[in-house]
Amino acid sequence: MSADTAPQPGVLRGNRKLLLGCLAVALFFAAWQAVFLFVPLDPVFITKPSLIAAGLARLVASGELFDDLGVSAVPFLYGFVGAVLVGVPLGIVMGWRARVGYALDPLMTALYASPLVALAPLVVIFLGVGVAGKAIIIFMLSVFPFIFNTYAGVRTVDRLLINVVRSLGGRERDLYVKVIFPSVLPYVVAGARIAVGRALIGVLVGEFFAASEGIGYAIARFGDMYALDSMFACILVITVLAVLFTEGIRWAERAAFPWRVGQ
Amino acid sequence: MRDLRTIPAVATPVEPGPIPAAAGAWRRIEPTVLGIAGIVAVLAAWEALPHIVTLKEGTKLFFAPPSAVAATLWAMFAGGTVWAPLGVSAAGFGMGLGLAILIALPLGVLLGRSPTLNAMLDPFVTAFNATPRLVFLPLVLLWFGLGLWSKVVIVLFGAMFPLLINTYEGVRNADRLLVTVVRAFGAGEWQIARLVILPNALPYVIVGLRLAIGRAVLGVVVSEFFGSNEGLGVIMVQAASQYKVDVVFAGMIIFTALSLAMTGLVKLVEKRLSGWRPQRASE
Repeated sequence: MSADTAPQPGVLRGNRKLLLGCLAVALFFAAWQAVFLFVPLDPVFITKPSLIAAGLARLVASGELFDDLGVSAVPFLYGFVGAVLVGVPLGIVMGWRARVGYALDPLMTALYASPLVALAPLVVIFLGVGVAGKAIIIFMLSVFPFIFNTYAGVRTVDRLLINVVRSLGGRERDLYVKVIFPSVLPYVVAGARIAVGRALIGVLVGEFFAASEGIGYAIARFGDMYALDSMFACILVITVLAVLFTEGIRWAERAAFPWRVGQ
Repeated sequence: MRDLRTIPAVATPVEPGPIPAAAGAWRRIEPTVLGIAGIVAVLAAWEALPHIVTLKEGTKLFFAPPSAVAATLWAMFAGGTVWAPLGVSAAGFGMGLGLAILIALPLGVLLGRSPTLNAMLDPFVTAFNATPRLVFLPLVLLWFGLGLWSKVVIVLFGAMFPLLINTYEGVRNADRLLVTVVRAFGAGEWQIARLVILPNALPYVIVGLRLAIGRAVLGVVVSEFFGSNEGLGVIMVQAASQYKVDVVFAGMIIFTALSLAMTGLVKLVEKRLSGWRPQRASE
């Protein structure tokens, strides 16, 4: 594969990518900060890193940030756990019983392709702005990656392994524990990576629409108040959380299922 | 992001022995028939629900059976009220997606060819791709105001990253041997790109485009919900606040149909363009 990359002296090369990445991020923020040495800062239009840092420190010190995150975390957990509990079994049944798969695949594909966010106003009107409404929106957005990935995972289960377990006298339970579960799990985790992003969209949609607390509401409110430093601080927090979630799952995938890397 | 639905079903059980002709024909159409039956069953249950159980007055307000949605959809098209908002939404969609293609393709090729540049931009691409673009909506509204440009920016943000990442992957996975051969025969960078790299990257770009279309539709809906004064999404929000559930569903069906039609078109183009390819790229 990498025939023309000759081995180079160790440490620097291994960390080159990381170093360059950090350098670029540092440069970006430095340039952002430096621009306003020459250009007057219009605080209702743009802000700068030092002010964002101050805003973040203020939000952390007053506890507002953690209150908002805590409020958003509850429906996030309900919706996401619900998506796992519904999506994975449904995907397994669809993959394991071919006829169920045939019957549900087009329906699920159409629902997955439709902008389900569009139902958010109905959900909010129907269930109110509390935990239930937000949890349902998050559930609707994050359930489909679980369904489709589990479905695909079950269909790739090796028939040969199943026959081997059966002919060696394994029971139905052995099939699930020894063959199906281990082969489907990587797909479910990959689905979780996609679903986390969509669940975050659900949090924001739910809270932009109608809420009185939560991190999404905080962003919308700071925007309305032209408090750009606080708004950027919240955006930065969401960005960091999103990267931690998705990269964390990606890392777990690599650590737990090394045979799948590069597939 | 990998589209796992494209993974072929390798585990479909194979019936031993010859299959009678009638059974063979049934096996061929079975998935289609069952698929249609599944959708019809859900619609029928939905339609029948108010006839079976009596809904409370409050619930009835939120209930629109498929027949009512179909009637509304028909009225919107027959009355011509759908075209103006649809045009506004389509303009935002088209401009955003077009800009995303214009930016993401060259940038993806550049990142694929230059490891240094890639290492430097990688943190930004990762961060933007992981973060829900919606988070920037209040900021974008502040900068671009209500209307077309905010929408274009949100659609651009959403659609750009799947395209960028897939183009990058496609370019990076170009066969080094082919690159070396073409270079040995005296080709310049531009010719290498045209002869080896772009044809190799094409399937990846197509998959990226399919993902991008979905994200772009989502971007249109979301930006019209929260920061616009015209467009199909606006009609839907207004309808929801007036309890016109049928209009909300009609709007959703239009958006879904557009999304599926565009994706189908891309698939068709993919088939025509990659007929020469012995095996399909899995990503």
